[in-house]
Amino acid sequence: MNSKSRLDPLLPPELLARLERLELASRKIFRGQLKGERRSKRRGQSVEFHDFRSYVPGDDLRLIDWNLFARLDQLFLKLFQEEEDLHFYALVDASESMNFGDPTKLRVAKQLASALGYVGLCRADRVSVQALGPAGRRAPVLRGRSSLWKMLDYLDSVEPGENVSLADGVRDFSIRNAGTGVVVLISDFLDKDGFESALRMLIARRMDVYVMHLLSPEERDPTVRGDLRLIDVEDLDSAEITMNQFAIDKYKSTLSQFIESIRNFCAKRSLVYVPITTETPVEEIVTRYLRQRGVVR
Amino acid sequence: MSWTPTLGPWAWLLGVVLAGIILLYFLKLRREPMKVSSTYLWAKSIEDLHVNSLFQKLRRSLLLLLQLLVVVLALIAVFRPSLRGETGSEGRLVFLLDVSASMQAKDMEDGESRYQVAKKLIAQRIEVMQDSETAMLLAFSDRAETLQSFTSDRRRLLDALESVSVSNRSTDVMEALRAAEGLANPRRSSQVGDVADAQVADALPAELLIYSDGIFPNVNEFSLGNLVPTFISIGQDRVRNLAITAFSAERNLENPTEVQVFATIENLGTEKLESDVTLSLGGEFLDADRVTLDAQEQAGLSFELSVEGSATLELQIDSVDHLLVDNIAYAGLAPTKMASVLVVTEGNTPLRVGLATEQASRVCRAEFVSPSYLSTDNYLQRSIAGTDDLIIFDRCSPSQMPETNTFFIGALPTTGVLQEGSLLSGSPDEPAAIEQVGDSTNTGEEQIRNSWSWDGDPSGLVIVDLDRTHPVMRYLELFSLLIFNGRAINLPDGGSELLSADIGTVLGIAPRDGYQDVVLGFEVISDTEDGTAQANTNWYAERSWPVFLLNVLRSVAGASEVSSANSYRPGETMRTRLAEPRETVTVRSTRDQEVDLALHQGSLIEVVDTDTPGNFRIESDGDLMDLYSINLFAATESSLKPVRSLELGYESVTAAAVGLEDQKEYWRLALLLMLAVLLTEWWLYSKRIA
Repeated sequence: MNSKSRLDPLLPPELLARLERLELASRKIFRGQLKGERRSKRRGQSVEFHDFRSYVPGDDLRLIDWNLFARLDQLFLKLFQEEEDLHFYALVDASESMNFGDPTKLRVAKQLASALGYVGLCRADRVSVQALGPAGRRAPVLRGRSSLWKMLDYLDSVEPGENVSLADGVRDFSIRNAGTGVVVLISDFLDKDGFESALRMLIARRMDVYVMHLLSPEERDPTVRGDLRLIDVEDLDSAEITMNQFAIDKYKSTLSQFIESIRNFCAKRSLVYVPITTETPVEEIVTRYLRQRGVVR
Repeated sequence: MSWTPTLGPWAWLLGVVLAGIILLYFLKLRREPMKVSSTYLWAKSIEDLHVNSLFQKLRRSLLLLLQLLVVVLALIAVFRPSLRGETGSEGRLVFLLDVSASMQAKDMEDGESRYQVAKKLIAQRIEVMQDSETAMLLAFSDRAETLQSFTSDRRRLLDALESVSVSNRSTDVMEALRAAEGLANPRRSSQVGDVADAQVADALPAELLIYSDGIFPNVNEFSLGNLVPTFISIGQDRVRNLAITAFSAERNLENPTEVQVFATIENLGTEKLESDVTLSLGGEFLDADRVTLDAQEQAGLSFELSVEGSATLELQIDSVDHLLVDNIAYAGLAPTKMASVLVVTEGNTPLRVGLATEQASRVCRAEFVSPSYLSTDNYLQRSIAGTDDLIIFDRCSPSQMPETNTFFIGALPTTGVLQEGSLLSGSPDEPAAIEQVGDSTNTGEEQIRNSWSWDGDPSGLVIVDLDRTHPVMRYLELFSLLIFNGRAINLPDGGSELLSADIGTVLGIAPRDGYQDVVLGFEVISDTEDGTAQANTNWYAERSWPVFLLNVLRSVAGASEVSSANSYRPGETMRTRLAEPRETVTVRSTRDQEVDLALHQGSLIEVVDTDTPGNFRIESDGDLMDLYSINLFAATESSLKPVRSLELGYESVTAAAVGLEDQKEYWRLALLLMLAVLLTEWWLYSKRIA
């Protein structure tokens, strides 16, 4: 973690102001636990009209549309859209590999998670921003914009080094959180065990999954040259390579295949795949990029 | 383009190993460790690279490619590629390689000898031989040797060339020319003019390539016929060579321990030279001198030494010149020869004692026989064969003079006329032989004049004079002698009086057919009438008696003929006869190399392996039997200035311009390119690092 991430707040005030105007989009309508600001599948008490239906004995007489009865002499019930809260989860991969780039991928991931979490908090959603792995267990479940500091406090406490595999982290999350909702998984997906099982677990929970794939510019376009012994910071595995244009081209080709494989995987399973480069400012990512992708609106 | 084989197989192997090491060194990359977020994608990327990683590296790494190029260029430079024009020929080549001593001269570039350069030139010519060409290889010094008969197999020719070595011998090109000529000018099977005769083979023209410095006499009475000669003259015009052309050691006969050493030093080069000349005896420094000689001048050196017994001498020119083999010369002083003495006597103790003294037994081996032995066949054979060096007849004479030196005591030698079947054991009182012969013919009278005879009757005598200048009488003091009975003697023509008494000559010496006869006119031991022996003189009790006998042994029996050992030229067969027969002898060189020889004819030794100069000792059972030395001593070989034109038969052959400089060598270019590539690589590397 470099000094910049320690000194700069995750969410600058200007960004907070812009985030307040946003709303988390969910392509699925989930049943909430508390009344919220979201439409529910359930007909409820909100002011938003949904439909009419014929009266059957036993219906609440308060819902009969008397105006219609006056006009048509038939009893109709006026149905309103129920509004409930949304469960929003932001899962941050805090493995050692996320501690790369300037700013680090982890910081960008935290910023994204906090920004989206804040959007959720502003909309009275149930927000849980947590790191994958053991650190995720102490993540608070938040509601209301006043909980922002708690969320930021928690994120500040997350340090890189949670070297848990993506699949294990997601499994741990799935076990702890039985409900449905929107899940944003922020990771570099550089997991030697693969990403598929992790995503499958989320799909199996019928979550609305957003996959945010973070890559640093160094990873997208390596500039190093020479004869190198690359050391994996997570498992200290090494790979000897002569970094010449041929090797770089080969890497780029592998990377694009990798990205494409995640994209295809997500597309086939109706997951939203959002590739993100860490050099892009968070404001731009959230207010423009994620908006375009439908993560927020 | 040809690849000049400059290195041997081991050197090549070493080169390849070194090149391999260099290659591996370049290929073994020093990788810098670098932390990355994950090797996941990299590992996937390099999986493909690993499949043919070496070739990928070679293809993509410019630096490595440049380094490999450097190595390749270095290897090319080591191979010494050179371009030489192909030479046309008659299809048949005869290589004549001079391996005489002068070809050892190291006057060529890089300190190479003429012989090495000649071999190199022949090897190059063999390498560019076309498949249609055949060649034979002859080496010549004082004799010719066919190293490889006609073949088109270049490998066999090169192997044969490799097997030859330069010799220390002189040069005679004739034999080699005859061998080459045999092919080009085949003879008819029998007589010229015989119509039925057919030529044994077709005349085949051949190119005769003579690789030599041309230092040999012009060849006359030789027809080249179909041979097309090419003379490749090898050697520089400016040469430096001091040579020892003569070296000998002689004992002073008057004083055998005094030895005089003579040497001739010649400057056979083209420059004025000076040098120290060192004489050593048995490897120990003895004396030195300094010579300063202009070109083609010579100087004589002499040294005086005092040497007991046998010795080996070496004379060395200390400075280094182009030819080393003539800078050292060897000489030996042969041991005192053991004389074989046969004593025919009825009994003579003073004689026995005198021949058994320490000094006498060192120079002679005496055998005592009675006069009856003279009638045996054994004696006849012995006397005819001349087995003995001296026969002493004490109071007796043989029927026929033996083929050796004799010493008569109280008796006279028989005349030259054969007296068949007679055995004269006449006493001085009975000059029967002379009388018998003397009455016969005029020829007989002449013989009497030319032979020994008594002069007067026996009587007492007093010594009057002696000739001390003669070796037999050296160191003698005889005036105190008492001689009871003796007779004066007449000497034959050419005889010398050694001892004279009042009655006339009582001791004389005279030559006979290359031998010497000594006659003493009085007996030492006389037989009385009753058959007992009594002394006729007191000489046996004098100190002069054994000295006199020793003088006789030395000067008459040849025991004192100690002189310098024979010197042979390299390649000459050494022949010598030992003083006594032995079954085996050991020839030992001064470098302690030993060769055992079995003698088939008893005492005749022949040594054929005489290529190496040096002193050689012939020993048997630890005793030194003889000495000989081998020296170049050939001013023609030592005259190093090469000849540029040869007279072969009736043709003059001028040296062809063939030399190493005719080659265009490209290895320097490869070396320069290598340096350029190395610089480029360094520049690129620096650029990348920066």
